[in-house]
Amino acid sequence: MRKPRLSLPITRPVLFALVAGGLGGVLLVAFLIELDRFTSTNAFCTGCHSMTYAEESYWQSAHYNSTSGIRASCGDCHVSEGVLAATWDHLMGTKDLLKQLFGPDYDDPAVNLVHLPEAAFHARQWFRDRKSATCSRCHELEAILGKRADTQAIHREETAGKSCIDCHINLVHRKVPSEETFKRDAWNRMVEEELGLGPGTADRILEGDVKAATP
Amino acid sequence: MRRSFDASRVSMRVGFGSILLLALSAVHAVKVQLDPSNWGLEAGKACESCHAKASAGLTRQWRDSAHAAAGVNCMDCHQADKLEPDAIEHEGQLIATVVSPKDCGRCHTAEFEEQQGSVHAEAYSIISDRVPALAHNLTGPAMQAAGCDQCHGSVVKVKGDGTLDSDTWPNSGIGRINPDGSKGSCSSCHGRHRFSKAQAREPSACVRCHSGPDSPDKEIFEASKHGMIYAAQRDQMNLEADQWVAGKDYSAAPTCVTCHMGAAGKLPGTHDVGLRNSWSLNTPVSEQQFLVVLEDGSKLELPASATPPSRGAEIEKADGTVGKVKTVADPKRRRQAMSLVCLECHSKPFAESFMKQFDKVVELFNAKFGKPARAIMSELYDRDILTRLPFDEPIELIYWELWHDEGARVRHGASMASANHAWWEGMYLVGRNFYGRFLPEVRAAAGAEAGGIIERHVGSQELHGWLRDADLGNPILGFGGAN
Repeated sequence: MRKPRLSLPITRPVLFALVAGGLGGVLLVAFLIELDRFTSTNAFCTGCHSMTYAEESYWQSAHYNSTSGIRASCGDCHVSEGVLAATWDHLMGTKDLLKQLFGPDYDDPAVNLVHLPEAAFHARQWFRDRKSATCSRCHELEAILGKRADTQAIHREETAGKSCIDCHINLVHRKVPSEETFKRDAWNRMVEEELGLGPGTADRILEGDVKAATP
Repeated sequence: MRRSFDASRVSMRVGFGSILLLALSAVHAVKVQLDPSNWGLEAGKACESCHAKASAGLTRQWRDSAHAAAGVNCMDCHQADKLEPDAIEHEGQLIATVVSPKDCGRCHTAEFEEQQGSVHAEAYSIISDRVPALAHNLTGPAMQAAGCDQCHGSVVKVKGDGTLDSDTWPNSGIGRINPDGSKGSCSSCHGRHRFSKAQAREPSACVRCHSGPDSPDKEIFEASKHGMIYAAQRDQMNLEADQWVAGKDYSAAPTCVTCHMGAAGKLPGTHDVGLRNSWSLNTPVSEQQFLVVLEDGSKLELPASATPPSRGAEIEKADGTVGKVKTVADPKRRRQAMSLVCLECHSKPFAESFMKQFDKVVELFNAKFGKPARAIMSELYDRDILTRLPFDEPIELIYWELWHDEGARVRHGASMASANHAWWEGMYLVGRNFYGRFLPEVRAAAGAEAGGIIERHVGSQELHGWLRDADLGNPILGFGGAN
């Protein structure tokens, strides 16, 4: 008597491929989750010297120092939730790595500060585009009480159509004006005054004069 | 700069001066000439809801103001162009924190024009090169922000990151240099955000700065008959009135505003607070002074002893820039304007005699103490007995207090009829300082040269002749008979 044949051709190699593929998929997702987790840590982000400037102001902020002990990491705010979105953000983030490797010398404090406003404008737009989604990981609009009685009322009554970033800019990192009122000339003069650079140095740095930063 | 004396034109200038006083002083209780369609910006209507919670106090002040009643909202004053140095984005609107006289002048045009170039608006520019000696050397830069600049005004600095430099802001000093280039601060006298007329008419509007050892005008006013009657009859001052003409809308007592700015009879009110001052009273030696008005609307004072500049002449302003002379008011005209206020309550001889008493005190201070002390100091510097560096030698502090504190008190006291300040707080202390501290310090500093210097400027002068009469009696201290 003939053995009845299975309708699907699950041969040993197929079975092996399915198991291996499934396992591989699980491992890939696990890998991505772990990769996202690792690449969202403060230690990873500030692995490049250029990012340590952003870290200094972060250390002074309530997002680092809160009485409740909650501490937001770089990724908590700057990387979206969910493995796909997080992976995408990190993929986009490789742009920063390329700039770090092939762009201006962001490790230099002057170069870093000269270029900071554009980075801030870009980051603010990122938050706006996502309706400040990463803020909501911790903050619940309805639960905001504030220290003053009216803070709660403001968050309940005055926030229609707005997301956090629309009011709360310059919260964690060094102050940068809004894009609309930003004055490049005034910013460059501030950089020069603060870092003791000669007049016009910041403009030359902005134009890509690499040597200008190291007098 | 070209200055020529042209006798035929002096009378013309004096004529212009009187026209000028009227021209500069627009009609009393100036109404905003604009149509209400010029304010009540749509963009400003949303502010209130949030600010009633975020800053309930100031919102309430605004709600109680004439501004709110007229429909003037936050954006009418705080609107900014994105190109302005201090423009910031706030809740989707472009605003500026600092509201300058230029901003207020969008509606209050006449007051803005009167105020620009006044001694108030120039209060920082006038002393800017003198500030470091006291604020930086003698003490420290922190004192400039917390002390000098709070009255004289700061140069408001907008940092590259768009924030206002805390060394220069907050500040409501009356000669503040604003980011938009205008000078002054309306809120120096007109407390924000209520901007009450009554509040600005009160003597307390001036007290924040016009008090203390160098300009104790609060204390002087309170110690004068004017202040005495004001305190007793404050409820009859009609302070809330729309129009506030002395002798017409109120007559109980004058306040600082009444004499220095207020409308009285035919005299129009003005926001140029120094317009009616014929003397300079805060200088080492007082001078009668011309008021020079320049083509660009700015003004400056020139001593009457100097040749008045001709019309069209170029002249250096307090801030170092150059302007063209439009017209010149002489000290007599300025005194006449001030005296017109007196006449609402006093007779002409009364007012004239009071002014004579005042002038004589100023002349006495000048002749007996101000000029000799200045001449002695000048000689000590010329002979290199003193270094040019101010306040490194004790005599410089003594000299400073002689004219800047005690000397100012005499002159202010006499000008506003406080006998106590003219005498005990004033000339008595000037005399005590001059004979008891200043001259002994000259002797200590100049050594062998002191005798000649003092003899030249003091000993040989008739006003100090009493020093030679050692045999006079001493009843005042109880030693020796009457003389």
